[in-house]
Formats: sequence, structure tokens, C-alpha cells
Amino acid sequence: MERERERFPDLVLSTMKNLNMVIILYMTMVTVYSLSGYIYENSAMEFLIRVKRLPMEPWKLPVLSIGLYLCLLLLLSIRCKNKSHFLLKTILELGIVFAISYVLNFGYAGMVLLIIADTMSYFSDMKQRMLLVTSICVVYILLDYDLLSAGYHIVSTEDCWAYYSREVQSLLLGVRNILNSLNTIVFISYAIVMILTEVREKERIWGLNEKLNAANQELKMANEKLEEYARESERAAETKERNRLAREIHDTLGHSLTGIITGIDACVMLVDIAPEATKEQLRAIAGVARQGIKDVRRSVKALRPDALESLDLKSALIQMMEETQHSTGVEIVYQIESALKGFNKDEEDVIYRIVQESITNAIRHGKANHVQVQISRNFNMLKIHIEDNGVGCGNIQKGFGLHHMEERLDMLKGSLSYHGDHGFVIDASIPIRWGTEEEND
Amino acid sequence: MGRRAGKGKTDKNKTDRKYGIRAGLCVFLLVSIWMTASDMYKMLPGFYENVIRIGVFSDSYWGVQNGYSYKLLEEAIVRFEEQHPDIQVEYVSGIVKEDYPEWLSGQMMRGKAPDLFFVPGEHFNDFAEAGVLRELTSFIEEDKEFSSERYYTSAYEYGSYGGVQYALPYECAPKLMFVNKSVLEREGLAMPGNQWTWDDFYHICREVTKDTDGNGVIDQFGTVGYTWEDAFDSNGVTLFDERGTECYLTDEKAKTAISFMGRMEELNRGYSVSSKEFALGNVAFQPMLFSEYRAYKSYPLSIKKYSGFEWDCVTMPAGPEGGNISRLDTLTLAMSKSTVHSQEAWELMKFLTGDEELQSEIFSYSEGVPVLKEVVESEENQKFFAGNFDSGNLGKLSMLSDSVEQAVVIPRFHDYDNAVAEVDRAVRTILEGNSNINMETIIQNRNINQYLKTKKSIY
Repeated sequence: MERERERFPDLVLSTMKNLNMVIILYMTMVTVYSLSGYIYENSAMEFLIRVKRLPMEPWKLPVLSIGLYLCLLLLLSIRCKNKSHFLLKTILELGIVFAISYVLNFGYAGMVLLIIADTMSYFSDMKQRMLLVTSICVVYILLDYDLLSAGYHIVSTEDCWAYYSREVQSLLLGVRNILNSLNTIVFISYAIVMILTEVREKERIWGLNEKLNAANQELKMANEKLEEYARESERAAETKERNRLAREIHDTLGHSLTGIITGIDACVMLVDIAPEATKEQLRAIAGVARQGIKDVRRSVKALRPDALESLDLKSALIQMMEETQHSTGVEIVYQIESALKGFNKDEEDVIYRIVQESITNAIRHGKANHVQVQISRNFNMLKIHIEDNGVGCGNIQKGFGLHHMEERLDMLKGSLSYHGDHGFVIDASIPIRWGTEEEND
Repeated sequence: MGRRAGKGKTDKNKTDRKYGIRAGLCVFLLVSIWMTASDMYKMLPGFYENVIRIGVFSDSYWGVQNGYSYKLLEEAIVRFEEQHPDIQVEYVSGIVKEDYPEWLSGQMMRGKAPDLFFVPGEHFNDFAEAGVLRELTSFIEEDKEFSSERYYTSAYEYGSYGGVQYALPYECAPKLMFVNKSVLEREGLAMPGNQWTWDDFYHICREVTKDTDGNGVIDQFGTVGYTWEDAFDSNGVTLFDERGTECYLTDEKAKTAISFMGRMEELNRGYSVSSKEFALGNVAFQPMLFSEYRAYKSYPLSIKKYSGFEWDCVTMPAGPEGGNISRLDTLTLAMSKSTVHSQEAWELMKFLTGDEELQSEIFSYSEGVPVLKEVVESEENQKFFAGNFDSGNLGKLSMLSDSVEQAVVIPRFHDYDNAVAEVDRAVRTILEGNSNINMETIIQNRNINQYLKTKKSIY
């Protein structure tokens, strides 16, 4: 169906081409016959005196008109992609039409409609098309015998055809006019088909646009819903965590503290009466307190990174870096000069988090593919140096990550420095407080 | 669109090449068409012929069968081919003068126009108007050897149309007045001299016009064939402007001439005289071409016509404001517009019209007058004339030479013949009407100007 609709204008166009061929042949042959008639019936002189111009030799008429028309058909079959080529082609076509018209004594110029039809299929821009078609139409109008004969002395078709008797002459002219009208009608149908096709195409595009807009709208709404949902789920997780913490504190610390308070109250009463029983009681209280602290540790443990849970710090760091390297493909070179033993849990946490956060930043923000991690001990300070080859950052805006690191280090009386001129470099120092902690642990 | 985009790069190249071939084919076709249309193909090997064809008629231009029809031309061709061995000159024989214009037109319409052809005076306008003649301006300007001064001015001007030279004169003949000397002697009148005037003319005609046998019908007349054009020419009337946009019928000279014609016609009292009467010896004067005089003056043609009386010729009578001036009939030679041998044709044309030896033979083998002044006035021809026409007025060649040189040259323009026909109709109306000649010329002049204007607006 679609293909058929596409082919229909082509069909009309080829009909037009054939019709023009017929008209040109008809005009030429009738003129040739009349001119030969003048010559063979010895009225050449009379003809010359009457028209006051030498017509073209009879044999040349069909040769030239058909030859020129073939040229026109060849040109019409060429599709131009370039605007200047197209303009050249159109001008050449008009020139050929003028030449054919000249050969036909300006008795027919309907070939111009062929050019217009061909031109119409080129431009989608209405303005350009109108301009071009209008200028071609001007040529068409100017190619009129009566108009041209005012400026130039030319032999008219009627002058040549005056060779035939009046009746035959009217018949011949009538046939020419009918053919001419047919050509015009075919042209008009072509134009209508072209316009209809175009209107349909425009409607189709308009409909598709509408659909696209609707789909876009739906997508936008879905996106918004999703964002809302993400926010809600985050809130829910927060609340859940808070509740868990509250329960944990209540269940463990609350329980132990309550026991301790009750026990201490009993000790206050017992201490004078039975010191031995009091001692016994205090020992029991210490047991409760120990149990309490055990519970707290267990709770805190639940919040720690998994790796640290099962491994020591160094192994956890190495595993983390290896895994990151493996999963992201970024080359991570590390050098850990210390055994990293003897840190308490929160210190281990901070060290682990700083390294993890820095590598994440280097990959995510710096787009780095090489990260160098160096952990060393300098007297009683642990130095962490992390350097990447990423884009760096000229104007550093502290995000949540950096801020968090500083905060954590602050708690441990450590310090943090960084710069982002060539890649990103982070230096962290943490004081080592061994001794008491070790005992505690 | 989608289909095309889907095809590969090789396909695009293929279409480009296809279009390239078509464009090339189109250019080739256009060039061939151009070669065909402009006759340039005739210059291509296989089509080229180094032959110049001349269009000519078999009998004498002056209507006399003298048996020398192609003699001059053949002689000229032999001599020309000797001078230009690389070119061949041909002509088609056997076309009589009567069929010649039609034959020539037919050849032209077939595209087989001779490169060079003789143009009878009466058809020069038609051919010039039809645009089949080559303009000679560039040849004349570029050829240093050529000098238009050598030709009689009037004969040379005969080949120009609308101010452009289209032809060169070959031979010519002025209009002269034939005089029946027997009638004048019978009436006791003297033969008029070459300086005679309208008054003399009118006087003789009035004396001559009479009923000789007493049957109440006039049977001896003053003149036959004397037209308003003859009167206009000899009274210095300029009838049209150069471009044929205005007629000067209201000019005093024209009115004088028309009145004179009226007076002359009154003499015949309504009797229409035919030229047969002159041959019978009943008319004193008839304007004729010099060629006719020459043809019938010599034996044996003189026996056939005008044998019953003595006759001679004089110049045309001069009007009060003009001179003893008449018209010239000239056979010209023109070049076809479509010739591909224009330079050779020009050489041949120059040779035929300008070679002294050849031109001088016109006196021997034709009835016309050579178009070169130096030839007519040469001592040799003086002797020839004195020998042939010793008895007549023409024994003195100077009269002939002057007549040719002073002959009227009418500016010709588009549709000249029809304009003249309009004037003829107007003059007839004025002569036949009884109203005031002043009023009538104004009315008629307005009509003619109207005609000239509409004619201009058509072309």
C-alpha cells in the first residue's frame, strides 16, 4: 500500500513525459509536412514573402526537437544532491525547453510543466519551492508566441500550418490544444497527488510526535515516583536502624545498668551488717558489668565492617584493595610497612575507612586507573599516603566523604591534608597510643 | 529515504557514476544538436565540400533571348578557378528567370541555398526582408582592396536594405524615355533635349493628343506608362523617411507632381492608353528601361517590335523642383546567410561585380549597363557605342553614365512594397476625386501614416 502510494506520482510523471513526446512529435511532423508541401508545390517564394523569415530546414525539425527532448529527459532523470548542481540543472533544462520551443516556432512550451513537476519533488521547504516554481512559471508565461513576436520576428505555427485548408487547419490546431490541455490536466493531478502525499506524511509525523511526547511525560512521572520511593526507603532504613540501636541499648546496657544499680543499693545496705556478703554481692555486680560491656562490644561489633570482623587490619586492607582492583580493574599498588597490630577497634575502623574512602573517591571522582597506597610508621605516628593519577581537583569542595574522614581523625587526635593538582593526594597522620589500650583489650 | 540510506557506499558511487554518464551523454547530445542547428557540421570532415554554388537563371535578366545566358558566368568561373585553385565553382543551369525566385526560395527552405546567387531587382526586398541574405558590412570593412566608390552610387545603393549592404550590383539599366520620332516629325515638333522639363513634356503631349482619322475618337496619344512614381522621382520627392515610419505625401513637391499627373491624364479625356499603342506607333513617349532600348534597337529584334517608325530615347523630363532623374533596375549578387564559404563567396562576388574585363563584356553579351563607372566611360566602350548607336542620342555615352549615376535611390525598409501600394491607391483616389488636392493629400497622408504605424507595431 505504502509502496503503491509512493509510485503513483512517478507514474503520473512518466505519463507526462510520454505525453510531451507525443505533442512534440505531432507538432514537428505537422510542421514538417506543411513546409515540405510549400517546397514541393512551388509556393516557397510566396511563403517567404508572407512570413518574411526563413524557417528551419524540414529535416532538422524532428532531429533537433527529439534530440533536445532526449536531453531534457536525461537531465530530468538525474537527481541532484547539491544545491548549485540543482540550479545548474534547472537552468539547463529551461534552456533546452526554450530551444525546443524555438524549434516548434513557440507553438508549445508545456515541457516547462515537466520541469516544475520535477522541481516540486526536490524541496520540502515551501518558501524555496514557491520561489523556484514561480520563476519557472514566469519563463513558461514568457514562452508565448504572441509575446515573443512583439520583440522578435518569428514564424508562427499558424503561419506554417496555413498550408492546410482551413478545416484541416482548425482540426490540427484543435488536436494540439487538446493535447496541451491534457498535459496541463496531468500536471495538475501530479501536483494534487504530491500535495496529498505530503499532507499525509505531515499528519503521520505529527501523530508520531504526539505519541513521543506522551511517552516522555509518563517516563518523567515514573522517575519522580521512583525518586520518592528511594527517599522513603532510606528514611525507613534509618528509622529501623535507630529502633534497633535503641532496643540494643535498652536490652544490653539498660539491663546491665539496672542490675548494677540494684546490686549497689543492696551493697549499701549490707556493707555494715555483713561485709562478707557485701563483697560477694559486689563480685556479682562486677560480673553483671562485665557481661554488660560484653554485650556493648557485641553490639558495636555488629556495626563494624565485615572484613575487620574476621581478619586483622592489615589482611582486611589487603583483601579490600585486592578485591577493588579485581572488581574495578584499577591498578592499586600498596606498600604497608607496619604490622598494624595493637590498634583498638575504633582506630582500626578509622584507618580502614580512610583507605577505603580514598580509593573510592579516586575511582569515582578522579577517574583514576592507578592508585598508590603507602602506610608507614614514623615514631609514634602512623602515616597514610594515598595518591592517584586521576583528573584531580583544582577547587576542592569538601563532600561528605572528606568531612567524615576529618571528623573521625579529629576524634583520634590525628590530622588530614590533601591536594588535587596532579591527581589527588591524601596524607593522614594518626598518633599511636599503645600501652593502656593494649591492657584494656 | 530509509531504503537508500540502508544501501552501502558502493551503491552511492554507482548512482553517482550513472548520473555522471547521463550528464556526459546529455552534453554530447547538446553539442551535436548545436552543430546540426548552426550548420557547423558542414565543416566536419565527411561533410565538407570546397565547392561554391551560384544561383543563376538561364535567360537574360532583361527579358531578351540572346543566347549568351551563361557565357559571362562561365568565363568568370574559369578565370576565378585559375586564381583560386583550391575552390570549385558550380552553378545549376536550366532554371528560367520566371521560375528562378521560386526555385531559389525552395532551395533555401530545403537548406540547400546556393552560396552566392543573383537577385532580381523586384525580389531584392523580399529576400532581404526574409533575412536570407548575408550582411556584407564586415567584408566591406575588412577588405582593403574593395572600394564601393568604383560602382555607380545608385547601383551600389540598390543592394542596401535598411541601411545595411546585402548585395553588390552586377548589371543595371536606367529608366529612359522612348520617343517616337515619326510622330513628332509628323506634328512638326522638335526632338526634346536631355535637359527637357515637364512643361516641354506637357506641351508636346498636348500637341500630339488628337483624333487623326476624324472618327471622333482620340487615336494619337502623348504618353503611355508614365506613372506618379516617375513624376515623383523627377521632381525630387522623398516619399518616406529612412525607416519607413512616415510618409511625406503632403510635401509641396509631391503635390506639384500629383497635379501634373492630373493635368496629363486630362489630355486623354478618359481614354486608357495601353503600351500596345506605342508599338503600333500611335504614342509619342513611353518610359522604358535602357535594356529594352538596346535589345530592340539592334537587328533582328528591331523588326519584331517598333518597326513602323523612327525612335530614340532621352532622359526623363525634369520636374520644376527636380532634375532629369529616373529609377534604376539592378541585378544584384547576394550571399546566402547560411553559406560556410563566406570568404570565398565574397571573393567571387567581388570578382564578378568588380572585374573590369568581365564588366565590360556586359555591353557585348547582355543588354544592361556595367555597374563600374570606369568601365562605362572607357574609351573602348565609347567607340563601341558610337559604332552601334551613332544615329541616336545614346551615341553620347555621357548621357547614359549620368542617368545611371544620378538615378534615384529609394530607401527601402520592411514591407516597402505594400507601403508603395498604399501610396498608389492614395494617388489614384486623389486623381479620381474632384476635391481640393491640399485637403485630400492631408487625409491620404494620415491614412498611410496610420498604415505604417500599425505595420511597425506588428513586427
